[in-house]
Amino acid sequence: MSDLTTNVAAAMASAAGELTEVTWRRDRKGVLTGWCRLPSGEALLPAARAVAELDGRLAMVTAYLPERAKENGAREIAYHFDLDGATLTLTVILPLEWARVPSLTPIFRNCDWQERELMELYDVQVVGHPDPRRLFLDHSLPHAPFERLVPYSTFTNAATSKALWDKVLADDREDA
Amino acid sequence: MTTKIIEMGPHQLALEEPMYFRVQLEGDRVADLDVMPGQVHRGMEHLVMRRNLYQNITLLERLCSLCSNSHPSTFCAAVEDVAGIAIPERAEYLRAVADEIKRIASHLFCCAVQANAIGETTLFRRVMEIREIMQRAKEAIYGNRMDLAANVIGGVRYDLTPEAASYLAQAMEQMKKPLDELYLQFGNNPVLMGRMAWVGVLPREAAVECAVVGPVARACGIDYDVRKKSPYGAYDRLDFEVALQTAGDVRARNMVRLAEARQSVSLIEQCLAKLPVGPLSADTLPEIPAGEAIAKSEAPRGELMYYLRTDGSDFPVRLKWRVPSYMNWDALKVMLKGEPVANIPLIVNSIDPCIACTDR
Repeated sequence: MSDLTTNVAAAMASAAGELTEVTWRRDRKGVLTGWCRLPSGEALLPAARAVAELDGRLAMVTAYLPERAKENGAREIAYHFDLDGATLTLTVILPLEWARVPSLTPIFRNCDWQERELMELYDVQVVGHPDPRRLFLDHSLPHAPFERLVPYSTFTNAATSKALWDKVLADDREDA
Repeated sequence: MTTKIIEMGPHQLALEEPMYFRVQLEGDRVADLDVMPGQVHRGMEHLVMRRNLYQNITLLERLCSLCSNSHPSTFCAAVEDVAGIAIPERAEYLRAVADEIKRIASHLFCCAVQANAIGETTLFRRVMEIREIMQRAKEAIYGNRMDLAANVIGGVRYDLTPEAASYLAQAMEQMKKPLDELYLQFGNNPVLMGRMAWVGVLPREAAVECAVVGPVARACGIDYDVRKKSPYGAYDRLDFEVALQTAGDVRARNMVRLAEARQSVSLIEQCLAKLPVGPLSADTLPEIPAGEAIAKSEAPRGELMYYLRTDGSDFPVRLKWRVPSYMNWDALKVMLKGEPVANIPLIVNSIDPCIACTDR
């Protein structure tokens, strides 16, 4: 075991419980990817803090509905961290309905947009986000469009320059 | 001092894609900034789940013009990882050639746009003229000037005949002197220094906090390049140094880009010299099993990451990607703070923003 895998295993066991396992895969070029399923949503914050202490960088957050999500009543969010070239993915399993997850933005500043995006695309509440406004989607679109059928022409926000300007200025008045 | 808020759109920001800013001013200086993306949101992460893995290559090539090889090649790498496909060695080199051709063209486009933003139209035209050598090379080898259509799952779908390799080698030779000249000009020309040095500074600590990547990070002294940190394709057999600067200003970002463009010329030459004979792609593809994978690459703007989850069918359960520009927008808040309004277009363009990529 390399120093990295040992340190990550120790940090995850300490933050998320002794039974938390990290599985590592090494590709043909020697690049490591680590996969860890957290035992509960509550383990996310301490696990993220532990990654921050290892100088990890939040690289990406992926929310998704896994296979048979409706049957199992479960959804997942994967948090991908960079550890000097290696990637560690922490996955939390959440209920399909009323899913709540703590915000990691106070720990990783760049989680801000990642969480704003997942909040508008999926039916997940991010608790403690400092700025939970919509990021990309227009207010005319329904909440969580990745979980329902939305016509493509409705989905795209593309419009003429004038329409965009009018929208930007209208947002300004709403915010004021 | 008076405080006011102004809205800026692509016309004022000298952007060719729509992005809007709400800028809070104190006097004529920037105090705060709100970035308003989403104007070209196409729901592409939704669309990829409605197409099979093979159709998605075509779709991802059209995600963004300047990174149109990085997206499909990184996506293919993720599928190959899930399915345990080893691509032929020749294909690894050919993917690197396509990536480096795109990198040179992308970096030069960014430098040209900045010259335009500060009214240096002669320099703008000169940089675009040099870039045209790359555009012609793309056209000659791939048959088009933007979406190279170079990748398939398991390899590549183009080859370099001896004639094409010789044409490309000649184009690389043509690039060397102009790139050296541009490096000196962007580094030392007093007019450019006056506009770009100590402008839009991102201190190293802020760069780490914002988690920026690519030339924006390397201009702050962050020694991170995916090609070195997480080697993929042929990069473990190619020789290059990570271009680094420490000032964190507009000038430093351009110095990194121009040094990288020059190194890309060398990387392409190395690929041509080492190009092994052999197949272009895997003979037969296995069934794509259920699984998940991460694939990363160094796109022109920095680390591009893909996550793929499959269930044994041809349709992805989830395909998610994070583009390098995604974090670089946030860093503008630091770069622009205290800067006069007149510097906003230059500084915004100095992060080489990609809006089609950001919005998806």
